Amino acid sequence: MTDPQFPMTQTELGAEEPIAIPVAESGPRQKLPPGKWLRRNLFNNWYNSLLTIVIGALLLFVAVRAFSFVFITGRWEPVRANLTLFQIGTFPRDEEWRVVAQVLIWTAALGLGVGAAVAGAKFRALQAGVEYVTDPALDRLKRYWALVLLLLVWLFFADTIGPLLLTVASLALAWGGYAAASRVSGPNVGLLWSVVGVLGVLGFQIVSGFFGLGWLWMGLPIAVAVYALLGRPDTDDVKRQRRIQLIGVLVTFAVLFGVYTAVDSVGVEWDDWEGLQLNLLAAAIAIALSFPLGLLLALARRSSFPALRVMATTYIEIIRGVPLISLLLMAQFFIGFFLNTDTPLSLFTRAIAAMTLFTAAYVAEIVRGGLQAVPKGQMEAGNSIGLPAWKVTQLIVLPQALRAVIPAMVGQFISLFKDTSLLLIIGKLELLGVREIVHGQPDFRGFGIAESLVYVAFVFWAISFTMSRESQRLERKLGVGER
Amino acid sequence: MKRLFALIAVLALVVAACGGDDDSGGGLLETVQDRGEVICGVNETLPGFGVVDDAGNFSGFDIDFCRVVAAGVLGDADAVQYVPLTAEARFTALQSGEIDMLIRNTTWTATRDGQEGANFLYTTFYDGQGLMVPAATGFTTLEELADGNICVLTGTTTELNLTAVFNARGIPFNPVQFEDNTQLRPAYEQGQCDAWTSDASQLAAFKATIESEGGAEQFIMAEVISKEPLGPVVADGDTAWAQAVNWSVMAPVQAWEFGLDSGSIGSYSGDNPNILNFVGDGDFNPTLGLPSDFAVQIVSQVGNYEEIYNRHIVPIGLQLAGSPNDLWTNGGLMYVPPYR
Amino acid sequence: MTQTTIEPPPEVDPNESVVWYRNVRVLRVVGQVVAVATVVGLIAWLFNNLLTNLDRQNINTDFGFLDRPTNFEISFDQGFDPRSPVWQMVLVGLKNTFLAGIVGIVIASIVGLIVGISRLSSNWLVARAATLYVETFRNIPPLVIIIFFGFAIFTFGPFPLLSEATQINFLGTDDNLLILSNTIWGIPGFVAEDNVGVFWITFGVAVLAAIGVAIWRTQLSDRTGVHHHRVRWALGTFLVIAIIGHFLAGGAWSMSWPVVSENGRRIDGGFIMNFGFIATALALGLYTASHIAEIIRGSILAVPKGQSEAANAIALTGFQRYRYIILPQALRIALPPTINQYLNLVKNTSLGIAVSYAEITLLTKTSIGNGRPAPQSIAILMGVYLVFSLVISLLLNAYNRRIQLVER
Repeated sequence: MTDPQFPMTQTELGAEEPIAIPVAESGPRQKLPPGKWLRRNLFNNWYNSLLTIVIGALLLFVAVRAFSFVFITGRWEPVRANLTLFQIGTFPRDEEWRVVAQVLIWTAALGLGVGAAVAGAKFRALQAGVEYVTDPALDRLKRYWALVLLLLVWLFFADTIGPLLLTVASLALAWGGYAAASRVSGPNVGLLWSVVGVLGVLGFQIVSGFFGLGWLWMGLPIAVAVYALLGRPDTDDVKRQRRIQLIGVLVTFAVLFGVYTAVDSVGVEWDDWEGLQLNLLAAAIAIALSFPLGLLLALARRSSFPALRVMATTYIEIIRGVPLISLLLMAQFFIGFFLNTDTPLSLFTRAIAAMTLFTAAYVAEIVRGGLQAVPKGQMEAGNSIGLPAWKVTQLIVLPQALRAVIPAMVGQFISLFKDTSLLLIIGKLELLGVREIVHGQPDFRGFGIAESLVYVAFVFWAISFTMSRESQRLERKLGVGER
Repeated sequence: MKRLFALIAVLALVVAACGGDDDSGGGLLETVQDRGEVICGVNETLPGFGVVDDAGNFSGFDIDFCRVVAAGVLGDADAVQYVPLTAEARFTALQSGEIDMLIRNTTWTATRDGQEGANFLYTTFYDGQGLMVPAATGFTTLEELADGNICVLTGTTTELNLTAVFNARGIPFNPVQFEDNTQLRPAYEQGQCDAWTSDASQLAAFKATIESEGGAEQFIMAEVISKEPLGPVVADGDTAWAQAVNWSVMAPVQAWEFGLDSGSIGSYSGDNPNILNFVGDGDFNPTLGLPSDFAVQIVSQVGNYEEIYNRHIVPIGLQLAGSPNDLWTNGGLMYVPPYR
Repeated sequence: MTQTTIEPPPEVDPNESVVWYRNVRVLRVVGQVVAVATVVGLIAWLFNNLLTNLDRQNINTDFGFLDRPTNFEISFDQGFDPRSPVWQMVLVGLKNTFLAGIVGIVIASIVGLIVGISRLSSNWLVARAATLYVETFRNIPPLVIIIFFGFAIFTFGPFPLLSEATQINFLGTDDNLLILSNTIWGIPGFVAEDNVGVFWITFGVAVLAAIGVAIWRTQLSDRTGVHHHRVRWALGTFLVIAIIGHFLAGGAWSMSWPVVSENGRRIDGGFIMNFGFIATALALGLYTASHIAEIIRGSILAVPKGQSEAANAIALTGFQRYRYIILPQALRIALPPTINQYLNLVKNTSLGIAVSYAEITLLTKTSIGNGRPAPQSIAILMGVYLVFSLVISLLLNAYNRRIQLVER
């Protein structure tokens, strides 16, 4: 079910760790004249020439067929007429502004986040005394060609000005956020990340409503900012300062709790999330929830307590041994019976629970791979300066291990995003499910069936492709897997 | 270690807090009234019965009966939350309380009534399982389908009937199961199945669309191989709620019998005491848990049975007159207990 | 952190009695007991809830339903009687799961190997085409690919109706090698005769003998340095004994050729594949191939460059270099992750639901829809997958340990 995006080897009982793939050398490539280039790369001997001709003919055939399907024979009316349905399903239309607001807030957060990363890198480069170089803007845009194509398809299908305005506005926000954030000076980058966190939570709560434990989630990034702001590095009285910081954090939470209780705005039911929105949110929520669980499982599996090891290993192996669909069926039929709740859990909640339990096992293995990659000397060094075991883990091992697992986590997210298509089977209207209700409509019963499937495949593809490219780039940048 | 003990203590507290919940009394009727919304389990891809338009609105025959219940119980036909369900999960959803009522072309059978903990109410649509073949084949009897591939949706009584009837008659066949009509229909049209079996109303709907879209002419066999009474279902064990739903659902039929429709019911000025009771002009109160003007709300907001039928079922190619769904006075099966 | 100073470890007299709650060994035991008790308590609580809730909803919690009739026919399984009990349905599902899994694995291995090597081809077009393949398949959900193949090959595909099916004959005889239609395909198959029992005995003997011969050849090779060729020897031994067994039993197997029945609605004889099976196996094979191709590529790149240079130095051709130097080393690196992909593929056959392929998940789901209790049905479903995955994992670990021993 879950297919790691990266080649994995395994050590014991299916444990996985990335193979080192040496990056292909991209030395300075000489420009050859076309004739010479053809001869060298396509027709250098008889079987290569034959292969070139055969593969070329095949590709040409596929390209012609695809072209005629997309531009000539294809009937895209069902997709065109139901573009909104594909994006958000039956999400209440008078609450649609929430989705718009969410897109705007998240694109701004994305721009700020990328900007903050750049600002951080600049600052580190400054400290290290090296010059910071960025890729040319055009190269950066090229990396997202699939997403750009997807956006263009949406804009082409849209019959109102709304989507165009939304696109322009969100691109402007993202660019503005990036431009502003990348100019922030080094020490303030931490605060910038808090702002990104606040916007991330805000974007989520716009669609989920400001209720329940929302104040807690919102409190986390704000509390981090307050903690940092109240800290003065030049003070002598460390204890007093700690007390002030603690009070600040508590006050933050108290104020937020008050505000959230007073506002108590319920957004939409989580079960109303449908279409592409459901695919993305379900994957995002499940990966976010499975991370802490997976981290605990990974630590337990490497713990010196045999009982913890056995329990963690059992859990991981059981979950990895069954397909996600069996857990989703469980969610559909009886996962709610494990709890004693008065009101039954919504199908969305149950599905998220199943996906989280499932992904946690894979995340645990990823994190374990990261932990194993930390050289033993690091831990021994920690022990030798008299740190207790948990402090060694917290201060020395985890920071290094978690940095190493980022690309694999992105891979897991892509995998989870693709797996959200299985929600169809338990009756949630994700992209494929929306496709089915579209063909239930009286106008579109008999045609465009292959076309709508191709559209859904393209949406999945464009998003997964871009993310997997990004994660490969990240992998190279972080130097993971290079030894 | 201290931290660990503290953690365990907290965990124990949480567990105790969760476990301490008890079933609070009060029926579903009160719950629904407090919530101000009826949660209705529906089918979202069934022509005529439940479809979703490009703005995300549900509509259809079954959907209208959800609206009927909302209008009856809450006075507002729009106070419905629709939950699309798969065929397999519908009874689980009902039993676990995820939905208040189920109206998803569900056939009333003894097993379901007994084993699934479901309580079937007034039948809103009398259907029967039929078989459709391309007219060009010239087939008219089941026997001619021997060894044939027969398209059917999974997890439905249709599948069980098919097996039972063909086996009883000793006709070998091969079922080709599909999850939904989106895939079944092209498969049938391209000749992957020799016949398509489903409820006759569905076959009629697809026959009409296939032919109107320029497809091959279709033929629905005269033989109906099963009885399919379709109607709303609620969970066993809550009589008050079941009564409220049942009488709400029957109101459109009663109104039809009285000759009242959405336009005329609000302004009834006759002196028929039964009708006066029905429209709530009088102090008649049968204590069904419904407001006295529930019938007026239902019929004025959603319509009487004939209006609902004409709105959704006639467009898919099934006429009301002469069908089992006609009023008993016209020789049909629509017969409701008197409202007095 | 600055306050932390390095202190010499305190002198500890092993005989000195430590207060029990400070004794590390006691604390370790207590900690683990508490952890286990918490988890066990949690699980017990969850199951108690489950049982209470099931009881409240009058859902049976026993497995008696396994003996009751299935009540529905299974697509394209003419041998299945709807009156047979549910456990037989489970077996049919299991068989179909593995059938699609095995065929998918074969497709994935062949395509994956070819595409993986092609990605490193010096031919620009071939390398680009392979990249296109990988990036396309890898980034689309397998469920979508399966539905797409069901449409593209069958519903909207080029094949005729079964009554006018394309039949490819064996050298001009009446025996069909291949029957292609838009619902089912037929290929020749083997049918077990009544006396197949005798054959299975000789089959067992053949396997044992083959293993024995392989060991003997290995030892001989260790002693004398002659190349062992143990695979050839073992295979030969196996085939000879198995074929003798077949004839000893008086023809335990007979060839069965597929024939379209007279009414044009059935294929009689041969091995019959329905469109759900083909779409599932092909789609999963091609999807998994994109992952295997990446593994192969990574493994080839992981073979030290010197090996390739050395091969060039002794004037091996490109093909020889791959066949004798690079692939044997690369495949050994590639094997463990590839087997993980195989496991994923077998688990992914559950997506055959989308094209109504009667594998175990679809049958379980249908059975639940027809009134069988969900918790037990799903428990059986998960148990089946789990046993399979664990067995493969254990075999893989054993193999890995062996490889590691050889290396050091």
